[in-house]
Amino acid sequence: MSLEAFISKLDQLQAAATEALAAAANREALEAARIEFLGAKSGQLKAAQKQLGTVAGPDKPAAGKKFNAAKMAIEQAFDAAQTRLESAPPTSKDGALFDITLPGEPIRIGRRHPVTQTIAELKDIMGRLGFTAVDGPEVEDEYHNFEALNIPEIHPARDPLDNFYLAAAEQQHASASPLLLRSQTSTVQIRVMEETQPPVRIISLGRVYRPDQPDATHYPMFHQMEGLYIDKQVTMADLKSVLRLFATSYLGRDVHVRFRPSFFPFTEPSVEVDMSWGDRWIEFGGAGMVDPHVLKAVGYDPEEVTGFAFGLGVERLCMRRHHITDIRYLFANDVRFLRQF
Amino acid sequence: MATLAPLPPAIPMIVSWNWLKEYLPLNMSHAEATERLLMAGLNHESTTPVADDLAIDLEVTSNRPDCNGHIGVAREISVLFDELLQLPPAAPKATGGDVNNFARVRVAAPDLCLRYTARLISGVKVGPSPDWLVKRLATVYSHKEKWKPVNNVVDITNYVLLECAQPLHAFDYRKLAGREIIVRRAKPGESLEALDHNIYKLDPEMCVIADSEAPVAIAGVMGGASSEVTTKTTEILIESAEFAPLAVRRTARQLKLHSDSSYRFERGVDPLGVEWASRRCCELILEICGGELCAGVIDIGGEPAPRAPIVLRLAQIQRVLGIEVPPSEVRRILLALGLTEPVVDAPAVTPAKAARPLPVPEPPVSLTLTPPSWRRDLSREIDLIEEVARIHGYDKIPEDASVPMTSSHRTDWERVHDTAGSVLCACGFDEAMTTSVVPAAWNEAFSPWCDAPALVTGQPMLEGADRVRRSIVPSLLAARQQNEAQQNEAIELFETSRIYFPSPTGLPTEQWSLALTSGRGYLFVKGVLEALLSALGIGHALTAEPQPGSLLDSSRSARLLLDGELLGFLGEVSPVGKKAFSLRGAATVAEIDLRLLLARANMIPQHADFSNFPPMSRDLNLIVDEAVRWSDLEATVRASAGELLEAVRYAETYRDAQKDGPGKKRLLFSLALRSRARTLTGEEADAARDAVVSACQAKHGAVLLA
Repeated sequence: MSLEAFISKLDQLQAAATEALAAAANREALEAARIEFLGAKSGQLKAAQKQLGTVAGPDKPAAGKKFNAAKMAIEQAFDAAQTRLESAPPTSKDGALFDITLPGEPIRIGRRHPVTQTIAELKDIMGRLGFTAVDGPEVEDEYHNFEALNIPEIHPARDPLDNFYLAAAEQQHASASPLLLRSQTSTVQIRVMEETQPPVRIISLGRVYRPDQPDATHYPMFHQMEGLYIDKQVTMADLKSVLRLFATSYLGRDVHVRFRPSFFPFTEPSVEVDMSWGDRWIEFGGAGMVDPHVLKAVGYDPEEVTGFAFGLGVERLCMRRHHITDIRYLFANDVRFLRQF
Repeated sequence: MATLAPLPPAIPMIVSWNWLKEYLPLNMSHAEATERLLMAGLNHESTTPVADDLAIDLEVTSNRPDCNGHIGVAREISVLFDELLQLPPAAPKATGGDVNNFARVRVAAPDLCLRYTARLISGVKVGPSPDWLVKRLATVYSHKEKWKPVNNVVDITNYVLLECAQPLHAFDYRKLAGREIIVRRAKPGESLEALDHNIYKLDPEMCVIADSEAPVAIAGVMGGASSEVTTKTTEILIESAEFAPLAVRRTARQLKLHSDSSYRFERGVDPLGVEWASRRCCELILEICGGELCAGVIDIGGEPAPRAPIVLRLAQIQRVLGIEVPPSEVRRILLALGLTEPVVDAPAVTPAKAARPLPVPEPPVSLTLTPPSWRRDLSREIDLIEEVARIHGYDKIPEDASVPMTSSHRTDWERVHDTAGSVLCACGFDEAMTTSVVPAAWNEAFSPWCDAPALVTGQPMLEGADRVRRSIVPSLLAARQQNEAQQNEAIELFETSRIYFPSPTGLPTEQWSLALTSGRGYLFVKGVLEALLSALGIGHALTAEPQPGSLLDSSRSARLLLDGELLGFLGEVSPVGKKAFSLRGAATVAEIDLRLLLARANMIPQHADFSNFPPMSRDLNLIVDEAVRWSDLEATVRASAGELLEAVRYAETYRDAQKDGPGKKRLLFSLALRSRARTLTGEEADAARDAVVSACQAKHGAVLLA
């Protein structure tokens, strides 16, 4: 083959290849064009390479140079086409374009109530500290709600106006002990201690009821968590240490707790507990050493065992955690609220 | 705290900084003093400058009524800063005749009035109070906008109340009919115009101070206008008494008349201090208003019995607090707080003993101390340990003690409860939280569990709500309505809580229930419940039986049984029910007993091997009468398909009255067949299908659609 014919042939081949590669509209077309022109076995370029041998000897270097230039041009055209296709949105055969920005198919997942979530968190932390959750009745007798908790009959906390006392609509026995919706979860601790010998390490969690006009911070029903630990040699240092571990777990960083004296019938000494929050102290709840009267009432010997108890309002923790400004949101059950948590 | 036990709210005690200097030198800054008081139990709320004084707002807990007066607060500071406390002598000079010759006091209600003292001063000059007195009162009352000094006598009684927390009252003695005081219950129909010039209706549970004709004061609450001390008064009777706390509380509450006096009587006054306050008051009156004090005092009830001493074993401090406090510090604190050691005669030193070397004194193992009359909260060893702790400082208690480890476990109940919540959330339900006490109408609307009337609360929890609920469903329907009113979409709610079934004796039965409401239909909600059973590993099939009732559509509601036991109720809300709860859209509800789920749950599922041979399936389309129920047909299918049957899968119900005739329906379902031993042949699958078809034909008159 003459040099001119070979060059002309290569020019045609290069023109056809670049056109085909540029026209390839999808991966399949590009691949077909690649096989057609650059295929290792029977591609047109391969065929041209074979014809290179038929060019006369003195013309061979020029022919070889021309071949290499054509090969490089076709390969560049292929790379360009490939890049173009990779960056272009894929289309189906009928030309419809899949819109990857469409929303996913809606899957409705419900949410746990924020108070439940807070309770779960509290239980989880206290569980790791060895406290087992216990349950008890919400409708209580006066003995468990007051007397066993060292709240005597004359105590103002027993005022009927400050409690939800009950009367069965009809068949209430005149002699029966008055019942009421429990005003604290300490009642559960009494019931557990009545039935269990020390050591006792429990938390009781649940609804409690006190007549309060609903406002931003009050609701006649709310939740408490109370912890109780009774054993030989339990001290206030243990109480402070457990509460610090709790606070550190809950807030996720090293915090300190501080005790301020307070007064609760169920405990003595009694303290208010504050946790350090940044550079200030925030109220956490109440705590103290279980009053010897209470230990005696459940049949424990205060000379043998000591114990501590602490309690806190769940809603308050929940509201602070989620920046909820009004407790009434928690019980209004608007799904726009519930779905935020 | 609002947690361990409910307590009445504490009212603020405003203390004048300058006034405190009357009792001890204040060598510390105001900030130091309030910080130490805060950490010792007197919560410092705020401090406001008033003229050249500071009004310090302290919160006093109900067990410390002694701190409702300046002396109590001063004593706390004296203990905390180890300063000497100095009290006024309260020793007025009595130059008049015997008080018993001029006045009579009779206590006819000794259960309401525990002690009553009276002193008489004649010839007083009532006028304005001196500046120093007005200034101190002005500081303490700076939060009361309308406060003004009254006159020297009245201001002095208020001053002494604020000094020692003992309320006092001065009567214009000439205005008392019969010149006598009778402390008695009010008579039916009696009323009194009090110092605030309102007229209060009294009842026989209230204690009054009366003269021979009518009440002149509401005991412990407020004096009457008729015997008010005015500039014309010359003869006064000073009352200092102790009234029963509960009676005062009840009266103040009933009359909605809360005073500085009633607040202090409700919390209990110092029974010994009653008489001291009387003397102190007379001392100031003589000094400021002049006059002549009658000799002696009328004292009904008299001094209380002496307090029993308390033994404090020093080792108990470490046992309770976890820290040691030096015995000398323990003793210092308790003595400074006003406790006293019994007087012990010093042992006579004999010459023989003196000759020997002095024995090293053994460290004491206990202290025996008598609490002061103003600290009724101190009667036991633990009370003294608390005193030591709060004065020594809770900050001394370490927060890094090593508490022994112990195991704790999640109970099956918690697991079931959590699984129920997770499944409901996964099914698209949001968790609601509704109150346990509901209006009567809701209570009546749905109570399938319990026929006994609901428990009723003595006062409503929220407006009109006084029934302790026997079902959660009405509460959820009300929540549904609230959401509909907001035009919220996808109102899918669930709640787990207790419902309460009254018992003729003792506590009611409290049943943990799961209730839900959906905008979708019966079969969707049933599917949710079946998913929950599956998640809990409960293999028993749910059976449904018709359930009459008006809230639910009787053709689309059921009672659900699990293995023959009542699990709960499910149904679409009827038009009547929708109207009752003002619902616009479709609603389905269900409520199930979580205790039964707990009893049936398979908490630790066990692995069961399965076949790896390929399955085969056969579709069936049977024409049956409308009355044929799927559960019956399915039972027949399961009984007749043979051991190759792996599952029966319901597909749909189809009706074509033209082709199949009226009263007929087609049940479409498929059989999943598989062998554990081999690959099935088509003939085996066909044989199983044929057996099913002929059994269904025989039992239910089913016809296979060709």
